[in-house]
Formats: sequence, C-alpha cells, structure tokens
Amino acid sequence: MKKSHIATLLIFLVCIPATLIFGSRLSGRWYYATSTLVVMELLIPFFMAFEGRKPQARELVILAVLCALAVAARVAIPIPGLKAIFGVIMIAGIAFGPESGFLVGAVSALASNFFYSQGPYTPWQMMAYGAGGMLAGFLFYGRRLPRKPLVMGVFGFLGVLFFVGPLLDTCTVFLAPITINFKNVMAIYLAGFPVNFSQAVGTFLVLSLLGKPMLEKLERIKIKYGMLRGMEKSA
Amino acid sequence: MAHFEIRNLTFSYPASDTGTALRDISLSIEKGEYVVLFGKSGSGKTTLLRHLKSVLTPYGRRSGTVFFNGIPLEQVSAYDQAAAIGYVMQNPDDQLVTDKVWHELAFGLESLGCDQKTMRARVAEMACYFGIQDWFHRDVASLSGGQKQLLNLASIMAMQPEVLILDEPTSQLDPIAASDFLNTVRKINLELGTTIIITEHRLEDILPNADRAVILDCGAIIADDTPSKIGKHLHDQNSDLFSAMPTPVRVFYGAYGRGECPLTVREGRTWLSHLFPESPQVKGLPAEPAKTPTAVPALSLKELWFRYEKNGADILRGVSAEIPTGSLYTIVGGNGAGKSTLLKTICGICRPYRGKIRICGKPAESIRPSELFHGCIAMLPQDPRSLFVKKTVRAELEEMSADQAQIDHVASLCQLTSLLESHPCDLSGGEQQRAALAKVLLTNPQILLLDEPTKGLDSFFKSAFAEILTSLKARGITIVMVSHDVEFCARYADLVSMFFDGQILTTDTPRRFFGSNSFYTTAANRMSRHIFSMAVTAEDVTALIAANREADLS
Amino acid sequence: MTHDALSNRHPAVSFLFFMLAIGFGVVIQHPAYLLAGAVCAGSYYLLLNGRSGWRMICGLVPVFVLLSAINPLFNTYGATVLFCLFGRPFTLEALLYGMVISGMLVEMLLWFGCYSAVMTSDKFTSLFGNLIPALSLLLVMVLRMIPGFIRKAGQISGARKCIGKSASEESGVKERIADGMSVLSALMDWALEGSITTSDSMRARGYGSAPRTSFQIYHMTGQDWVLIACMATLATAVILGGEKTAAFSPEIRIAPLSFGFATYCILLLIPSALHIKEAIQWHISRSAI
Repeated sequence: MKKSHIATLLIFLVCIPATLIFGSRLSGRWYYATSTLVVMELLIPFFMAFEGRKPQARELVILAVLCALAVAARVAIPIPGLKAIFGVIMIAGIAFGPESGFLVGAVSALASNFFYSQGPYTPWQMMAYGAGGMLAGFLFYGRRLPRKPLVMGVFGFLGVLFFVGPLLDTCTVFLAPITINFKNVMAIYLAGFPVNFSQAVGTFLVLSLLGKPMLEKLERIKIKYGMLRGMEKSA
Repeated sequence: MAHFEIRNLTFSYPASDTGTALRDISLSIEKGEYVVLFGKSGSGKTTLLRHLKSVLTPYGRRSGTVFFNGIPLEQVSAYDQAAAIGYVMQNPDDQLVTDKVWHELAFGLESLGCDQKTMRARVAEMACYFGIQDWFHRDVASLSGGQKQLLNLASIMAMQPEVLILDEPTSQLDPIAASDFLNTVRKINLELGTTIIITEHRLEDILPNADRAVILDCGAIIADDTPSKIGKHLHDQNSDLFSAMPTPVRVFYGAYGRGECPLTVREGRTWLSHLFPESPQVKGLPAEPAKTPTAVPALSLKELWFRYEKNGADILRGVSAEIPTGSLYTIVGGNGAGKSTLLKTICGICRPYRGKIRICGKPAESIRPSELFHGCIAMLPQDPRSLFVKKTVRAELEEMSADQAQIDHVASLCQLTSLLESHPCDLSGGEQQRAALAKVLLTNPQILLLDEPTKGLDSFFKSAFAEILTSLKARGITIVMVSHDVEFCARYADLVSMFFDGQILTTDTPRRFFGSNSFYTTAANRMSRHIFSMAVTAEDVTALIAANREADLS
Repeated sequence: MTHDALSNRHPAVSFLFFMLAIGFGVVIQHPAYLLAGAVCAGSYYLLLNGRSGWRMICGLVPVFVLLSAINPLFNTYGATVLFCLFGRPFTLEALLYGMVISGMLVEMLLWFGCYSAVMTSDKFTSLFGNLIPALSLLLVMVLRMIPGFIRKAGQISGARKCIGKSASEESGVKERIADGMSVLSALMDWALEGSITTSDSMRARGYGSAPRTSFQIYHMTGQDWVLIACMATLATAVILGGEKTAAFSPEIRIAPLSFGFATYCILLLIPSALHIKEAIQWHISRSAI
C-alpha cells in the first residue's frame, strides 16, 4: 500500500473521529474550531497524493497557470456581476481529473487570499473550491458525461448553487453571531441563496460559452508540449 | 578536445511540411570561445541550440551526434547537463519560476539538491557579482525587463555552468538594458572563461565581442569565420543576410573597401579618416525637403498634461505637436519617459487634465468612442498577442469585419495570405506583428498609432514591416510611432521627435534631427560625422563615398 | 511594517503565535478573555499599521454593534427582558451572547489583519517548503504568475478598446459579458504559451533530475527557540489554568477569573511587548551615538 493511502486511512479512521470526539467536549463555540480542523484534515490526503506523485515540470506549470487564471478571474476580469473563478476551477477538473481539479480549487482559494486577506474562512474556501473542481472531474473526466457546452453549463449552475455555495455557507453558519439552532441555520442558508444564485448563473455562462474553447486550448497545448518535449528521462 | 563537437547533425520536425530544420551541421566549439550564431527567423538557430541540451531537444527525426567534452551528449546525465550547460531563453518573464528574487536565484541549486551551506554561499556570490543585492528581497513582478533577464542569467550562473547558451536574450529589452546585459555576458566570458554560444539580431553590439561568427541559412551553415571576415563571405555570396551586418561592415563592403573590415564605430571612423585624409569634395547630403504642412493636420496636440494618480508625478508636462496627414511621425526617447502614455492619451484611454487634442480638426472630446475607433484612430499595442482571441488568423480578421473582399485585401497587404489558417500563437514574432496590424487596419483608421512595433523583430521582418507602412502612407494614412529603434526611424520616418521630461523637445526630418545630434543618433552618423554632414544611414555614407570617388575622377 | 519585532523572527515563531492566539480566540467564549484578546489584537494591529490602523478599528465598532443586535432579534430565549420590539421580547441573555460572538469575530478580524501583515507569502511558503515541497513550489509559481496575469488582463482590455472591440459604459450587459469572456480567453492563450517556456526553464535548471532541497532564507536562532518555549509554556498554562466557561442560555453563568487569564494576557502581549522593547532599544542606541 502506498504511503499516501495509509495516511488517508489514518486520517479518516483516527484523526477525524478523534477531532470530533475531543472537539465536542470543548466548551463554548467548539463547533467552528472542530469543523475547521476536520476540514484541514480532509485537505491532507489530497496534498499528500500530489506530493507522492512527484509532479513533472509540465504538470506543475499547467496547474499553476490554471490556478493563477482562476485568481485573476476573481480579481481582475470585469464581467459585470459575476466572477469566473468557479468556471476556471471546474474546467481544470474536467480536463485533468478530480485530483487536479481539487488541487486547483484549493490552491487558488489560498493564493487569492494572499491578495485580499487570510481569514477564518480560508480552510473552508480551500475545501469548497476544491470540492467543486473535484466534482467536475468525477463527472466529466474520462468522458463519463459528454463535454457539451449546455451539459457543462448546467452542471456548473447546479454545482455552485447546491454544492459549493452551501459548503461556503456552512462556514458562515459556524461563524455567524447567532445561536445555532435549526431555524437560524436555515435562515443563514436562505440568506446565502441569492449570492449563490448569481455565482451559479456566472458559472453557467462561463462553462457554456468558454468551456469548450478552453478545453480545446488545453488540448492544443498538450500537443504543442508533446512536440517540443525533450527526452524526459534521458540517460 | 573541443567543448562541443557537432558531427553531421540533420534534423526534421515530425509531421512537418517545411522540410528539414537542420541540414548536415558540423561545428566544433572550443573551451572559452565566444561564438555568435546568426540567421533569419526560422533558419534553425533555436533548433540547433536546443540540440546542445538534452532536456530541451525537440522530438523529430535526427541523425548525427553531438559530443560534449568528447562524450556523446545523450550519455551525459540530466543532472550533469543541468549544472554544466546553462540555457537562457528569449522571454524574460516566462523563464522566471518563483515569486521572489532570492528564491529564483536558488531555484537551480534547489533542483540539484544542494545543501544549505553551498546554496547560501553560491546565492550570495551571484547576488554580489551581478549587483542584485539591492533587490534581493523584492518580488520578481516589480522588476524591469532588463533586471528580469539579468536575474535569469544569474540564477543559471549560480549553478556554475561551463557553457552558457543564449537564445536571443535581448530581443525583448530596450537598447540600454540590452547592452548592459550583453556586457555582463562578455564579462562572464572574459573573467570566468565560460564558453558562450549566443544568437542575436543586434549584431552591432555583439560582433565586436565575439571570437567567431557562424551563419545559418535554411538549416545549413553557410559561413563560419572570424567577425572581421564574416562580412566578406556574405558579400561575396550576395546573400540577403548581408543587410543585417553592422553599419561599419555594410559601409566598408558597400564602398568596396580594402584591408581589415571595421566592426565598431571607432574602427569605422579610423577607416574613414584614412580614406579621406583631407576634407572631401562632396561634404554632405541635402536635407530632405520639408513636407508642406497640410491645411488641417491629422492630429494636433496642444499643451497636454497628464498624471496617473492625483498626487503622482506628471507624466506629460505640456506636450504640443502638429502631425501632418499622411506622414510617418516617430517619437524617440528614453525608457519610461512616458511615450506610451502619450499614445494612450491620444486615443483617449488616458484623459489629459489640461490641454486639447484635435483629430482631423475636430476636438477629440466631441467624437464618440464608437466613432473614434471605427474609421478614425486605432492603436497597435506593444505586445501584438494582446489582440488575439481566436483560433485562426482568419477568424481573428473575421472578428473585425464581415467584408470578405476587405479581409483578403488587408491580408495580402500584410503578407498574411499563406498564414490565414494558422493559430495566431504559432506564428513567429514578426508574423504576429503583421497579423495584429491587419486586425487593426480592418477598423479603417485614418490615424494609426504604433507602440514599439519593431521590438524583437529581426532586420528582415523590419523591412517587410516598413514596406507595409510605406504603402499605408501612400493611401493617406497618418502613422504615429513610438520607438527606441533609432536606425529604423532614420531610415523610414518623415519626422522624428525627441521626447524627454514629459515634453516633445525637438521635431525635425531624420537627416536634420540625427545629423545635429552627436550622441543620440545612428551608428552611421556617429561613424561619419567628422567627415560628412547629414549622413544618417549606411546607404547615405556609401553614397557619399561613391560621390567623392566620382568627383575625384572627374 | 518591516520593522516589526515578530516579523523579523523566524516564520515558525510568528506562525505558532498566530495559531495559538487564533485557536484560543475561537474556542474560549469567556467575556474577559475575549476583551483581553480584542485589546491585545487591536494594539498589535495599531503597532503594525500606525495611523491607518485606526481607520480599521473605528470601522469595526459599528460592525460590532450591528452584529451584536442580530442574535437578540432572532432569538428570544432568556429571562431578563430589556424591552419589546415589534411585539417580540429583546432579552439580555441573547444580547450578551450576540456581543460575545461578535466580539469573537472582531478579534478574529484583527488577528488575521496582523497575520496578513506579518506572515507574508514568502514566509508561508518557506515554512512549508520542506514539509510539502511540490505544493509550496506550486503556490510560489501561482503567486509569481498572478501579478503578471492581472497586468496582462489590463493590457488585453486596453488593446481591445483601441480597436473599438471593447464594451463601453453605453453597451448592454450582453456585450460586456462577451467582452469579459474574450479577455479571459485571450489571457488563457497567452498564459499557456508562456507556460511552455516556464517548464523548459525549470527543466533546463535541473528540475526533476535530483531530489529537491529547499533554500532557507530564514534561520532559527537561540532567541527564536526561547520564544517558542515561552509560548508553549504559556499556552499549557492557559489550558490548565482554571475554568473558562461562559453560558448565556437559559441563564447567564460566567466562571470566575483564575490564574489562566493572567498567562493568556502575557501570551497575547508577546508581539506588542517585543515591538515596543525593540523600539525603545533603538531609540537608546541612536541617542547614544
């Protein structure tokens, strides 16, 4: 068994239960601290798998480009009322699979917060963005779902509205200055709905309009790399 | 034993219809030698250089062998090659990997798995040798292009290579940064004995430093000799590559000079002094006739003031100019002086807080943006790639216009007809420039603004570009061009302006302008100004020498 | 900002401090601890940012008031009714709980403000460079690319404007979306082309030819170890030093202060104390010249 597999098992069978049991016995707002720790532990297996793979220069550079593009889309590109960051992350998942999708999501969340500010939400954003990219990878990588503009667009819409958005809202639930009970939690999720909806529309537009061209660009660059690529493991 | 020995190397790219990229190349490079490799874009220079380092060698069909220190290159381990063979590429930005200067310096050493002690010593050593210590902790994003390229060189030198391969390292730099960079390369060669193999199209700066020049044409070596003799080979073969030789060389062979060929301006001056011990009969060329000012200038700028931030420094400090219709008006000046800002102000991207712009006689603020950029004014950005959004050149052009006849016309004007189906990113620098120009021309501008259009182009692309500009001028289009390229301006411009300290200081025709400058002028003028007046191009000097010979005969 | 005492220590010291301060901050909801935390965070924030720090602090006051009011508006538990609003009771218990949690948020914002100023990206990556080499290299590469991408995005939209291809204020939402998409698409082409050179440059400098090491620009000194030991001791004392509970529902129960509170204050004052100590020393050494 590989080192990263053992670590994954350890984390799921030992670390996370231990955190939950110990964390719930803390007094006060134990749930934010505990849940954030669990989120951080969930990130570890992905990162370890990436480390274990010893990525080649080409892979690192392409992933870095996609991360930086996602951040630039969040920071710099003025498309009124929408941010293209989720779209770019999902494209990464669709083109390179769930693991890469997760990595691009998590790293772009972390990196973009170096330009704004890190906060108590950073681990949650890493998790949520990463999960968005991973979901896209699970559904589309290896041609499970057809990579048609409309299919990708609808996926992006639903994925942001019902998966990534609510994950981010969960962080708000734990941070909100309000007593946690069923009614209040529902209120927070409902309050997040309009924001998530506009993000979902943005992601729909990006994936349906740019999804296909972006995948073609990545395909083209793979071929171009292949042509220029030297003898990777020469003597 | 030769440092590099290339034996009968032939190479062709897979699935390529362009034929063989390299043809039977045999070349031997000694330890400590400084070799210049020269040829047109697409002559196989880069392909040849990439064969000198296994990780960069392209895929394709290959025969022949490359020996490094007597051992076939593919038997030298990747680890040894990484340290011993340094490779500097063209684009200063894209070669950087990390975000901090210190980290970039250490990157190669980290990859080689050096220990902390070695890394600290090497990094410190390199930072001092290259004068980087002042910006050691900075973000690479805050560096200028010249600093970035110097950092790329330093981070390679930190691995202590025996050979340094440089592939057009200064093509993206301004002239001052370029000559700084080349001086550093020269210093490395002299002080450390590192073998240098370099390709460049700025031969004026580099040929005098070199021990040997190798000329490639269509993938084959057509000449291989010392710098002072290389010009003779090209001149005898009647090769069009001769036009890229430094000015003193072109004048020397153009005037059928005898003896040792001059390479630098200083040698050229001495040679001319010997040729004309006494004052010549024909002293100079007439200045160009002043262009009769058109009734309404295409562009008139009056006392423009501009700054980016409210409390920032003024970039434009009272710029005034009248630009006649149908002329090629060039603005030269130092780096970062605000020349590009001036262009942005003219086309309304930056708004001056004082002063007036009139376009074809109409105040600029009375023209709506939708009219301004359709059929009135257009700008070609410094990086042509900023304009490309589609998959083929044809699609790029179709984005601008639905009129197929017009597209065909502009494509043939910009010499793009054979490239219409290519991806814009696959074109060479000069071709990208022309494709971007075609896109800009499809807005039917009356006034065309060009920001450093000759940056990174070799002399052949430059003359093709000049040809297009001339035919545009013939149609009454006014061209305003900002440039560092003194030689290009001297040769093709109608009017040249000096931009300094936020103002346009002087404006004149090229011969008067460069003829009266003693420092900021062309090589031909610096070389001949003690004998002739108003000779600003190699052709001018050659013509004057010929005219004096005739006068002597008669 | 660069002349801060904690910023000049090894990043591990700063990172440990912030993890402790933030960790305790989110878990302990005892009002006295919160007040101490907010005051220490606020004063360190001011030391780091000088006069401009006041703006942030003043801006946090209305945020605190507003957030405190949310909980009692939604929840009506508790026995002490202060007044009635829209026919609903506004209770002291709910208000106090709202104040505690808002105070916690304010404290977090201040600590994260300090964290961003002290733990710059290069410290973060050099701290984790040995632990997760590939990932921290990826992060460093992303951070290198972002400023260039943002600049390029500006160039692309500027260039498109100059050929009349950009959406202006007068054009509709549809054109503006299409324009943003074109910019993103052009940016991606440019970035991917550049990536070929970057990966060549990495391999040309030996990436992948040997196991990587990581260049440490920061070095642990004796003082750094002393600081780490101090922090660890203080943190243990805080954990073991007495009850820190506070409950607001159904009734207010706040544990009395004990030994742990004093150690908590000392721990949180470390960066400010170091900062002031160095400022005084510098003053003395300068006047001695």
